[in-house]
Amino acid sequence: METEQVAKPVKFSKPHRFRFVSKTVSSAPLAVFRVAFGLMIFVSIVRFWSKGWIETLYIQPLYYFPFYGFEFVKPLGGYTYVIFAVCGFSALLVALGLFYRVAIVGVFLSFTYIELIDKSTYLNHYYFVSVISFLLIFLPAHAYFSVDAYRSKRLLADKMPQWCLDSVRFFVCILYFYAGLAKVNTDWLVNAMPLKIWLPAHNDLPIIGFLFNYTWVPFVFSWVGCLYDLSIPFLLWNRRTRVAGYVAVVVFHSLTALLFPIGMFPYIMIVTALIFFSGEFYQRIIAFVSPKVSLPTEFIYPRSTYKLSSITQQLLIGVFTLFFAFQLLMPFRYLLYPGELFWTEQGYRFSWRVMLMEKAGYTQFMVKDRTGKQLIVNNNQFLTPLQEKMMATQPDMILQYAHILQDYYSKHGFISPQVYVDSYVALNGRLGRPLIAPTTDLANVSDSFQHKSWIIPFNDEIKGF
Amino acid sequence: MIKSNWLQMIVVCLLAGIIWACSGKGSNSDPDPDKGTTDRKAVLINLADNSIIPAYANYKVKQDAMLIKSQAFLSKPDITTLTAFRQAWVDAYTEWQKVELFDIGPANKTAIVNYYNIYPTSVAGINEYIADPTVNLEVTASYDKQGFPALDYLLNGVGTTDAEILAFYTSSANGTKRLAYIKRITDHMDALLTKVINDWKSTYREEFTTKTGLDIGSPMGQLVNGYVLHYERFLRSGKFGIPSGAMLNGVVSAEKVEGFYKKDISKQLAQTAHQAAVDFFNGKNAVTGASGPSFKTYLDGLGAKDSATRKTLSEIINAQFEVVNQKINVLKPSIYEEVKTNNAAVVQVYTEMQKAVRLLKVDMTAAMSIVITYTDNDGD
Repeated sequence: METEQVAKPVKFSKPHRFRFVSKTVSSAPLAVFRVAFGLMIFVSIVRFWSKGWIETLYIQPLYYFPFYGFEFVKPLGGYTYVIFAVCGFSALLVALGLFYRVAIVGVFLSFTYIELIDKSTYLNHYYFVSVISFLLIFLPAHAYFSVDAYRSKRLLADKMPQWCLDSVRFFVCILYFYAGLAKVNTDWLVNAMPLKIWLPAHNDLPIIGFLFNYTWVPFVFSWVGCLYDLSIPFLLWNRRTRVAGYVAVVVFHSLTALLFPIGMFPYIMIVTALIFFSGEFYQRIIAFVSPKVSLPTEFIYPRSTYKLSSITQQLLIGVFTLFFAFQLLMPFRYLLYPGELFWTEQGYRFSWRVMLMEKAGYTQFMVKDRTGKQLIVNNNQFLTPLQEKMMATQPDMILQYAHILQDYYSKHGFISPQVYVDSYVALNGRLGRPLIAPTTDLANVSDSFQHKSWIIPFNDEIKGF
Repeated sequence: MIKSNWLQMIVVCLLAGIIWACSGKGSNSDPDPDKGTTDRKAVLINLADNSIIPAYANYKVKQDAMLIKSQAFLSKPDITTLTAFRQAWVDAYTEWQKVELFDIGPANKTAIVNYYNIYPTSVAGINEYIADPTVNLEVTASYDKQGFPALDYLLNGVGTTDAEILAFYTSSANGTKRLAYIKRITDHMDALLTKVINDWKSTYREEFTTKTGLDIGSPMGQLVNGYVLHYERFLRSGKFGIPSGAMLNGVVSAEKVEGFYKKDISKQLAQTAHQAAVDFFNGKNAVTGASGPSFKTYLDGLGAKDSATRKTLSEIINAQFEVVNQKINVLKPSIYEEVKTNNAAVVQVYTEMQKAVRLLKVDMTAAMSIVITYTDNDGD
């Protein structure tokens, strides 16, 4: 809970439950976050574009793996560049705080659309960006230090309801805490897997590389990583430990950036954690900067509070309550499925499970029909290397691919083709074994949220969350 | 790898300091040579200096011998020079199997494997190329018209008897053109090999042994990828899977065996190639036969093992290699004959090789943390 902000006197005495809702807080942290977040998205888009990934990930593939229920999201061919341009441009507008509401809706829709095209590119931090931009749609992040506020005195406010800021903070806390909770399992803590595999790959780094030859080092990294994720929400929330917490954030994410190919994620998190700093902290920076760039005093100290009408406010509180209930429950949906989560991946995505598995697989598909025709599929003919790699370890993608093959071969000389897969998957240092029942005709199976009974059960147990 | 910046350097130094301070003397962690090594530099140096470079030197001796015999044949095509050329071709083709798997660096850049050993060779294509001596031998379309398989046809397949084969070069109006084509393709082999060997000597050895990272495009990453790909595509599919029909539609294609026109060497080629893959895995010195730092010792150093049986991954892989060797050993010298008369034995080799492919492609690469991808991932 914020301690540095004194609650404004409330005009009407409200019932107890509205006390939190009526507290106000400086607009500065959310405004700074808006600027930083917009710039990070913009940089991400530029980086993605300049690496040629739009072409290789969204234009070159012949087939895509849409998410269940989102099959209507289709790749747009050459127009994919347009949607990236829209996203990048909107992100810049968000940073500037110009036409903010339209811009943030633009970021949310374009970014989410891109991420829904193909499961093989799923990353937790993309989901994070989508969810944060969804939250920001409803928040007055443009009420302060924005072009919109500069142009509209009515909008300009250096205070806003506290829940507006705290909802973003709370969401970031969920992310860290759940990521930590997911590490409380026997593979991570008892076997130091998968870090035991990943760290020795960096034993040639200058200065710290030699450490990765010691068998105890992955254990230290695993335990520290787990404790870090679990404790960071509290360290950042508490004023007394905030600076230490932020230093930990910078150290931890810089280290992961150095060791693992995770792109923008560490930097986005380092920037995101800034939202925990207090209004006073930012006010001091602004007070220092604004005379130098000669911003009018009334723009910096408008002495007004952003107000929502009570109906809007109650509506939003309702939406946010549902949203957070969803966020808190969604990662636990795996409990509804039998079998080992890491093996079946039923309920694995959208749950802040990061860096938990070294999983590699190999699949060979056989297509046959009742006339006795049969062939072994060359996966390269249909999938990109990334798609093949992702598909090989994830049952729902294996099924989608089987249906791609079914469609293709029913148009290419096979009469109601049957599709079988010979799969082999290794998880966290265990010797590989078949993932999918080789006798199941996957052409005959349709995807659903039901348990996939054609996954061969895992022959080991990973205890924990 | 993300490029280091100042912030990261500071973080690294801080962390190193902290952990170093906490780690005491670390004396309990002296590397035990029996347990293998996690020192990739040692692995790369051994593979370069004791396996790859000497293997190319060994091969060059055989290829040079073949070139001399081919010169003799070209200047005086008769039964003596033909027989000598043919034998030198068999020797070189066999020795080639010991270097074909090094599809990395210079070999990868020159695509030497594609120019040397794509079969079945195109008879119609060879005849076209003989007719047109200006045709470019450096394009993809020319792969199956040169190298060892083309020589196989030209030395063993242009007639049913030696007399007929000699007549192909002597009595016909086109004889000189045909001899000239042999010269063209053997010269091309000479040029390619010279380039590969020189590249290894001049710059690539240095690059190979100093870039010890495992990221995309690193020597170790390319080496492992190339090794596994070679095992899967050239050993499993090329030599057994495709001829036996185990790969496609069950269509048996005996004529797609390696060394189709010579017939009786296909098993010897496959045996040699497979043994080369096994020896490379175990880091065998190409001259002395002694083992050194290798994929095997690296896996042992990483402690890769089956948690159920406690067997090390390298033991499991070597055991599977042995099973494959045994399955190859029982074949007839001509895999063509075997496919025609006892195809099940050939399919069995394929099946056992398939198990080895999985161990290499999934278990070994996962244990080594060698990624086959080109974009970011967050590890899940």
